[in-house]
Amino acid sequence: MTLIQISTFVALSLLARVFGSRLPRRWTLLTISVLAVFWLQPASPIRNLDFWLPLLTISIAAAAWAVTLPAGTRPARRDGIAGFFVLGLALAVALTRYIPALCCLTPSRPPETLPLLLGMGIFFGVVWLVGRGFARQPWTLHARVLAVIFLFIILKSEPLAQLTAAGLRGLMGQDPTLAQPTDLRWLGFSYLAFRLLHTLRDRLSGRLPALYLDEFLTYAVFFPSLTAGPIDRVERFQKDLQTEFQLDAIRFLEAGERLAQGLFMKFVLGDALALFALNPANAAQVSTTGWAWLLLYAYALRLFFDFAGYTHMAIGLGLLFGIRLPENFNRPYLQPNLTAFWNGWHMTLTNWLRAYVFNPFTRALRARKWSIAPIILLGQLLTMLLVGLWHGITLNFAIWGLWHGLGLFTHNRWADFAKGRLNVSPQLAAISGALLTFHFVALGWVWFALPDPGLAGRVLRLLAGGAP
Amino acid sequence: MTQEIQNKLSAFITGEILKQPDRKLGPEEALISGGLIDSFSLVDLALFVEETFGVKVDDTELNAQTFDNLNQLAALIQSRQ
Amino acid sequence: MSESMRFLRNVLGKATLLFVAVNLLFATTDPLSFLGNLSLYNGPIPGRQRIPFGEEPDKAYNLSLNSLEAMFASHELTAGAKPVDEFRVILIGDSSVWGFLLENQDTLSAQLNSADLTTPAGHSVRFYNLGYPTISLTKDLLIIDEAMRYQPDLIIWLVTLESMPHNKQTFTPLVQHNPGRVRALIAEYGLSIDPANPDFKDLTFLQKTLWGQRRPLADLLRLQLYGFAWGATGIDQYIPAAYTERANDLPLVTEYYDLEPDFTADAIAFDVLDAGIARAGDVPLLLVNEPMFIADGANSDIRYNFFYPKWAYNRYLVLMAEQAAVNGWLYADVWQAVSNDEYTNSAIHLTPAGEVQLAAKLLELIHPLLNP
Repeated sequence: MTLIQISTFVALSLLARVFGSRLPRRWTLLTISVLAVFWLQPASPIRNLDFWLPLLTISIAAAAWAVTLPAGTRPARRDGIAGFFVLGLALAVALTRYIPALCCLTPSRPPETLPLLLGMGIFFGVVWLVGRGFARQPWTLHARVLAVIFLFIILKSEPLAQLTAAGLRGLMGQDPTLAQPTDLRWLGFSYLAFRLLHTLRDRLSGRLPALYLDEFLTYAVFFPSLTAGPIDRVERFQKDLQTEFQLDAIRFLEAGERLAQGLFMKFVLGDALALFALNPANAAQVSTTGWAWLLLYAYALRLFFDFAGYTHMAIGLGLLFGIRLPENFNRPYLQPNLTAFWNGWHMTLTNWLRAYVFNPFTRALRARKWSIAPIILLGQLLTMLLVGLWHGITLNFAIWGLWHGLGLFTHNRWADFAKGRLNVSPQLAAISGALLTFHFVALGWVWFALPDPGLAGRVLRLLAGGAP
Repeated sequence: MTQEIQNKLSAFITGEILKQPDRKLGPEEALISGGLIDSFSLVDLALFVEETFGVKVDDTELNAQTFDNLNQLAALIQSRQ
Repeated sequence: MSESMRFLRNVLGKATLLFVAVNLLFATTDPLSFLGNLSLYNGPIPGRQRIPFGEEPDKAYNLSLNSLEAMFASHELTAGAKPVDEFRVILIGDSSVWGFLLENQDTLSAQLNSADLTTPAGHSVRFYNLGYPTISLTKDLLIIDEAMRYQPDLIIWLVTLESMPHNKQTFTPLVQHNPGRVRALIAEYGLSIDPANPDFKDLTFLQKTLWGQRRPLADLLRLQLYGFAWGATGIDQYIPAAYTERANDLPLVTEYYDLEPDFTADAIAFDVLDAGIARAGDVPLLLVNEPMFIADGANSDIRYNFFYPKWAYNRYLVLMAEQAAVNGWLYADVWQAVSNDEYTNSAIHLTPAGEVQLAAKLLELIHPLLNP
């Protein structure tokens, strides 16, 4: 989000405050969120893709809602209204093409009428079919889970993304040889995918509450958390949505404080550190151990201020509209061990993977009476590998994930071993633990920051005091 | 009733997870956010609750938001019995 | 009104008041030049070997700004007091002295330093690169004026005709954004530049506030931040792998600014040259007519290169020699001192080998001047 976009959302919250009594909040939030999907989407060199991707975001979310309807229930009148309302919004966005004064909410001009109607017809038809035709068999849910994971893999794997981009370029009559993986910059998909997987999975285990379409869509594409999370849970979100809310001075102050914190962290500290934080260019240029550490420290802090700042802003914006998004960070670099670090870094992602990967995995192996150490080793490696691949399906993210998986396992075994045996002062343990943890995490960032493992090796040798 | 549940839970946590059977757990002591129980032991705790009280604790509930101390866990168990 | 509403009103009220107060204070005290002197360079960050300049900051770890104080504070010239055994030589000039497309180790000052000269009195001769891209004598004069604070023992000033047309004097951003300093020089040396020239960017009161000065302030900060990247990598210029070579085929243009054939000395900015020499005072100043590429392609019968028609440059050569003789300047004309294939993307930018040739020539010239 840019400063302009953030200011717009704040202004909208004040407008909503003024007109709040006449406009129910759920419709306000749905409208802003749906429009924001189009507005925040970055431009793509593939023709009209910056219109189709947002529309796909909304369609996928709607289809996910349709398959998660409880067995035997039909969509309610309210769902129908919400469906047509959202369709109307998308159509309105597309029609700005013909109103120069309003054009355009999307980065490039939306498609012309014929492809628009065709495309929207296909999207709508698929959602309708999914929801109506053969819905609510367990296998459709499984198929949906697989479909989302499949999409995720395409987007996050460079060769596949490149291939898809080439295909789309061909479809649009553009030169496929110019395709780049970055053509498919699908705003917020990583987060959307994890929200949808959570609802599908909870529906399978029978824990998903009943949700109206408008509630579901607002949850899936809620504008403050669209671009960079946090990943909320739908039952918690729904509770906030259903609670009466009016923006008063106390809430405005709290939101303002979070926004101010976020703006300062992201746009002042984060962006300043970014000027000399480790990156592939300066990683190849730096030649002494001390300066390499400085670049790495700057990267570690920059990553935190950028991401945590974003979260502060998302939470602040959410509060302006009465939604208390979950916290994502809790002083991660001050934690005394790696396990505690991961309880304080990108918490909503780690909680998600714990709930849907680590816990079921551990439970299954526990039931088979495996001994403890191998379960923990495998469970941590698998979970952290997935945390890594969530950022992109590349070798460097896999290595980064395994680095942390091994670290967590080692800490777990050490903590088990050290229980009652070690006798040091708690302060000393906390400080030395925090220093050790921070440096372990920082060394991990070398893999995270540099896509080329050879370059990462160069930097690690330098950091260790060796020759570049 | 609540006290009995809490005693059983406390005995399991101090004896099996913390390996400090003499340790006393307060009813409001933060178990998860306080770092006493790691994610692996949480699964063990869930299995123990299921075996002992016949109550299902879902994988998605093993976090500090659902329960973070003995009082909350006991209440959760009671509400499902 | 509720308690919290009152609190909110107080917060917003105080914030507005504070904002206004800080802006007024900033506008009245004008602390920018003071702030420019605060620097991490020559401390935690090594001083820069040339004046900060950069068109692609994120690749060059360097940026262009208009605060002479900050530019000098980041330069190695200003690191601590001048060592007692140093014979200090500063090089003034345009991008060819600064070292466009050259790493620091290949610039003219680096080539001169590698000669490890010692004066007869045993002082070690150290050359400092104070060149700055953009071609204007008045810009050079500004830099000489500031550099005199750092006790040079010898100044070498490389010039070319392109830096001398009157209307080029206020063309460069550094001159435009330092109107106070330039006007002081105009007054002191009676320069023919109009102090009311609209090129000068005088600030309105609103532009002097903290809000109005946010860009120059951010530049000061960014100069410090990029310093860490410069310290870590030793890079202060983005040098692309390939560049367009200096033109050898030239357009059929015979005009040169508004100069007439047989123009006289007052048609170009000899007054600024005079001022620079006067500003140097007792410090010897060696004036050098810098080398340039001589084309042999299309229209090379009427033009030397991209910059000059032959008639204009020939006339300039005559005038320079005349003025030097009349005024007793230390003057050296080395316009043909570098072989023609040692030019890069412009008729005045040299390759490392070209700088070696020029340095060799200059070393001959400065030997007799090494007596402190």
